[in-house]
Order: sequence, then C-alpha cells, then structure tokens
Amino acid sequence: MTHPFQSIRWRLLLWHSLISLALVVAIGLLANRLSSRDRFERIDHELRNHERSFFRSVFMPSPGKKSDGPPTLDEIRERLRSLGEPGQDPPEFRDLFKSDPAGTFIVVWDSDGTPLFISPNAPEGLSKPGNPEEGSTALVTRDDFREHLRVHSSGMVTVVARDISAEQNALNRFRLLLGLGGFAILLSAVAGGWWLAGRALRPIDTISQTATRIADGKLDERIDITGRDSELDQLAQVLNNTFEQLASAIEQQKRFTADASHELRTPLTIILTETQRALKGEREPEQYKQFITHCQTAAQRMRGIVDSLLLLARHDLADHEAASARCDLAQLAEQLAERMAPIAAARNVEIHCGLQSAPVTGRPDYLETLLQNLLSNALSHPPVGTPVTLRSFVRGNESVIEVHDAGPGIPAEHLPRLFDRFYRADPARSQVSGHSGLGLAIASSIARALGGRLEAESDPNKGTTFRLSLPFAENGSDFSGKSIRETAPTRSA
Amino acid sequence: MRLLIVEDDPLLLRSLQEGLQEEQYAADTAADGLEGLAMAEAIDFDAVVLDGMLPGIDGWEFLRRLRETKSTPVLMLTARDAVPDRIRGLDAGADDYLTKPFDFDELLARLRALIRRNYGKSSNKIELGEVIIDLAARTIAQSGEVVSLTPREYTLVEYLALHRGVVISRTELYEHLFDESDDTLSNLLDVHVSNVRRKLGASFITTRRGHGYCIE
Repeated sequence: MTHPFQSIRWRLLLWHSLISLALVVAIGLLANRLSSRDRFERIDHELRNHERSFFRSVFMPSPGKKSDGPPTLDEIRERLRSLGEPGQDPPEFRDLFKSDPAGTFIVVWDSDGTPLFISPNAPEGLSKPGNPEEGSTALVTRDDFREHLRVHSSGMVTVVARDISAEQNALNRFRLLLGLGGFAILLSAVAGGWWLAGRALRPIDTISQTATRIADGKLDERIDITGRDSELDQLAQVLNNTFEQLASAIEQQKRFTADASHELRTPLTIILTETQRALKGEREPEQYKQFITHCQTAAQRMRGIVDSLLLLARHDLADHEAASARCDLAQLAEQLAERMAPIAAARNVEIHCGLQSAPVTGRPDYLETLLQNLLSNALSHPPVGTPVTLRSFVRGNESVIEVHDAGPGIPAEHLPRLFDRFYRADPARSQVSGHSGLGLAIASSIARALGGRLEAESDPNKGTTFRLSLPFAENGSDFSGKSIRETAPTRSA
Repeated sequence: MRLLIVEDDPLLLRSLQEGLQEEQYAADTAADGLEGLAMAEAIDFDAVVLDGMLPGIDGWEFLRRLRETKSTPVLMLTARDAVPDRIRGLDAGADDYLTKPFDFDELLARLRALIRRNYGKSSNKIELGEVIIDLAARTIAQSGEVVSLTPREYTLVEYLALHRGVVISRTELYEHLFDESDDTLSNLLDVHVSNVRRKLGASFITTRRGHGYCIE
C-alpha cells in the first residue's frame, strides 16, 4: 500500500465515514429538535392553562355580587389589586399557586407600568417588558424562565411564567446522550465499513497476488474462482483465460527457442572441433582443405536452419495480404516438377502429374515454397525409386493439390505431430539428408496464412498423401485446361 | 586408450574420431544406439563418448542397458543443456556431461580425467621411481629430463602405469591401444616394448612369459 488515500479501501472508508457522519448528525439534530419542541409545547400549554384558570378564578362571579355583563376595566383593576389578601381570596385561587411550588407565577402590569398583581411565588425584581405590541401574545424564553406574554388592548400586560431549568437540564442530558449515541453509531459504522471494504476487496487482493506470482515466472498459477459468478469471478475468469494464452505462447516460444538452439548446436560443435583440431599443429594443405570443407558443410546446414526460422517467423506475422495475386496451383506444380526433375532423377524417382486448373489467391512465392517443401519431402524420405504423384483439382469451393508418394508410409503415431516445428519421424535420417525439420511446419503455417489447410494421410499399403486445400478463386487462371504429363527420370550420371 | 564414440551426425562423428585419433586414442565409432551398445558390451573400452539423441535407442536407454553389465566410464554429449536432462543423464549412469557446442580441448581434458579416475588416480602425475608420467601433457620425464617417445610408446607406458603392478596380457594391450581400423602386426607390440626399454631402461617393463607385461 503506498499513500493511504490512494488505496481504494481507504477512499471507500473515507466516503463511507463522511456519509455516515452526515446521517448521524442529521438524525441527532432532528431528534433534538423534536424533543425540545415537544417539551416546550407542553410547557406552553401548561402556561396557557394556568393563565386561563387564573382569570377564571379571579373573575368567577362572587356569591355576593350580581353579574350583569362583562366587567369593566376599572372593575378588573380593582379586582386584581384586591387579590393577595388571604381572607378574600377564593380557595381555588390559593390552591393555584400552592399546588405548583416549582413555579408558575403570574404578574399583571397596568398600562402605566404599575403592577396590578404579583403572585406570591414570583421571583423578585421583575419589571414590565418594554414596548410590547398591543393585542398580541408571545412566548419567550428568558434565562431559566419560559414566559407567556399577553398585552391587552387596554395596555395591561399579563406575564405567566415558570422556571424551566429542570427541563433544560433534562434536555441537555438528552443531547449529551444523543451525541454519545451518535458517536458510537458512527464508530461502528466506520468499523463496519472498513471490514466490508476489506471483504469486498479481498478477491482483488487475491487476483493481484496471483498475477504477481505469474509475473514472477510461475506460469501455471491461476486465480481461484469461487463459482458464485460475481463480477470479480467474471474478471478472474477473463484474467485466467488471458494467463492461459500468455502461458501457452511463452511455452511455445520457449520450446521453439530450445529446439532452434538444439538444431544449431551440432553444426556449431563440428565447426569448433574442426577449427580447434586444425589449429593444433602444422598440417598438409590437403588436410586444411578437409577441415575447411567440414566447416563449410556445417555452416551451410546452419544457414538452412536460420533461413527456415526466418521464413517461419515471417509467416507467423502473416503480412501476406500486400503481395497477393491470383495464381494456379496446377501451373505452380508443373513448373516445380520441371525444376525438381534433376533431384528426382538423382533418386531415380518418377514424378507423375495429374494437374487440373485450381485457381487460388495468394502469394505465388509462398505457395512455391510450400509445394517445394512437400515435393522435396516426397522425393527424399521414401526409399529411392518410390514414385511420386502430383494432382490438382477443384472440389466444391476449394482448390486442392495433392502430393502423393507410394512409399511405406508414416507410422500413425507420428502423424499428429508431423507439422510441429523440428519434429522428425526419424531423427537420424533427416540429420544425414540435411533437413532441418522445419519444412512441414513452414508449409503448414503458409497454408494457414492463406486461409487454407494442410493435411497428411498415410497408409502402409498406399503410401503418404499431403493435401493442400485453399479457397477457390474465380477467373483465377490462364492455365490451359488439363495437363496430364509424366516426367520420366532422365538418368544422368 | 581405446574409446567408443556413439553419435548419429556423420560429420561430427568423423570429426571426433579423427580428432581423438590424432590425440593417440584408439577410437571406434557407432552411428546408432543399438550398434554402439553391442560394441560397448563386447569390448572393454576405456571410455565411451555418447550422444543423447540417437536413432535406435537413445543415449539414456543406452546407459541403462550398458550399466546392467559394464561400468565403462561414459561421457555424455547432448544438445540440451536443461538441468533435468543433465540430471537424467547422470542418474542413468553417465560419469560426466558435456553440452554441445563444446571445446574440443575440454572434451580431451574430461576424457583424461574420466579415464584416470576410473583407474583410481586422482592426480595427473604418476611417479614410478625416477620416471614421472604427466597425463595432461602426455610426457614422460626421467631424472627431470623429458624422454622423447612416440605417441604409441607413450600410450603403452601410460596404460601399464595406470595398472601398475598388474600383469597386462598382450590381448588386453592390443585391445586398448589399437582400434578396428588399425592393421596391427602381431609383433608391433614387441617393437614398442623394446623401444620403451631402450629409452627408459631395460627393467622399466618386465615380461611375464606367457602372461604379459607389467610395470612394477
């Protein structure tokens, strides 16, 4: 892990914590607001009730007085002033202030500011609130008191208030608990988020560890797949497939390099041995000539291998599109048969041709290499004098050419690997005849590059047939019809 | 010293044979595994140079079968230098291992070491009183002075010195000093022996009539 905030886990955690914090704070604020509103509503309701009961008891029609309509302002002032004398107060009125010693008190001021009534439990030093608007009511919290203020149209002001410090303490306790609870919830949310992020990222960790091991050279390592088909499983599957392909490509490359160096080692040994022997002492010119001849032979063999490897590498790149042209397999085969006639004659082989026009699109030079490899195999591998047949024809939408020899055939176990690079059915003989073991690999890769296929069939009784099938190209040829021709071996010395 | 070279590449086979013959080894050749095995089982070679990839049976199978009857030292040549191949060869009974392409001089040095070890010598110098044989330089010195011997005479002394105190029959000497291509005259050995005696003293090689020769 480099910088903590570059890690996905840390960033996830950071965002998760911020969101959790916002939620906890929002819920805390809401709870606080609801709770305090609820308490103040209750207090306000109480205050209003108190005011109502106060006035009801004050203006309850006294038994000795006749009631005729609402009391006048002066009557009210008079009545209020007369309160506070225990003898005259109605009993409900006394109970009103006694039953609530914690605190609801009432003060009534006249419009000129003189107090008309101060309840006995009212604290000292109260004064008339300044400039209240006429005819209004207000609920205010001043210090530890909640006050219900009413201003009459006459200018009289009534204040019903009580000490609310107990409620405020309770509210503060509630806020503290809310804060602590919120903090605990936030902590557990962060911890849970950390664990969840780690759990979600663990497969990625596994993937990266596996990839690191593969990069370190353990090419057969693969990511474990849980089989739950999650997004990460799909990713792991894709990566595994990629690793598979890379590993097989690297393996192929390794094998090829090993094979190639293997092929080059023997001729190199010959050159080293011969030159070291030659330098050991003075020798006759004839002997030097022999050393040089041996070195030349070895070097030529190496050149053959290197040429073939380069050719193969080029076909692997498959950049043949550029120089593609229409050509006819029959024509190519005919020219080739003429060119190879001296070799055929040297091995006392008859080349029979049964060539019908088989037009294809492709690079003539590549096709020539391909056919030459097939023909020279047919001329050199079977015993001396084994007849060879070239046949070309069109079958369906394919142009086909066959190179057949009537030799003893290739053992079945060799057939599947015949087109592998450096594969030889008989390692000894090919060393002698100078074949690199790349001819068929080249032929097969050309066939693939041209969009066709190369197959081998072998039967101990019938011999061996190599068949090249390529897509048929229309109007591809100016080859004049059929050519049935036999190249008799010209027996030269 | 008589060697067998088993190698399927004809050019390399010929080159090795000529090179080793120039170094005064008697060298026989075989181009495939089965032929080589038959020869190695029939003749007591001083060492076998064996290629890994062979037609018939390959080098490893060759070794497995040879080890059932013989303990001839085998130097394996192979074009593969992968460690498992080397381990496989050594485990199958090869005594040493060389990867192609190799230096011819290294091949010679390894063969000398192989043969010397096989005869229980850990040093390249054999001291026989006044006479000191240097196996690496292929020279013999008497009282500090190098004695001039023909290569054949040297090989004769070397072989007897490696088997010091043992009576070596004429047949065994023939077998180890000459290969199949030498047309040997029956008295050629006596000629070499008398030449060596002339150069190193009459008592250097003793004759056990009816048994053979010996260096005490």
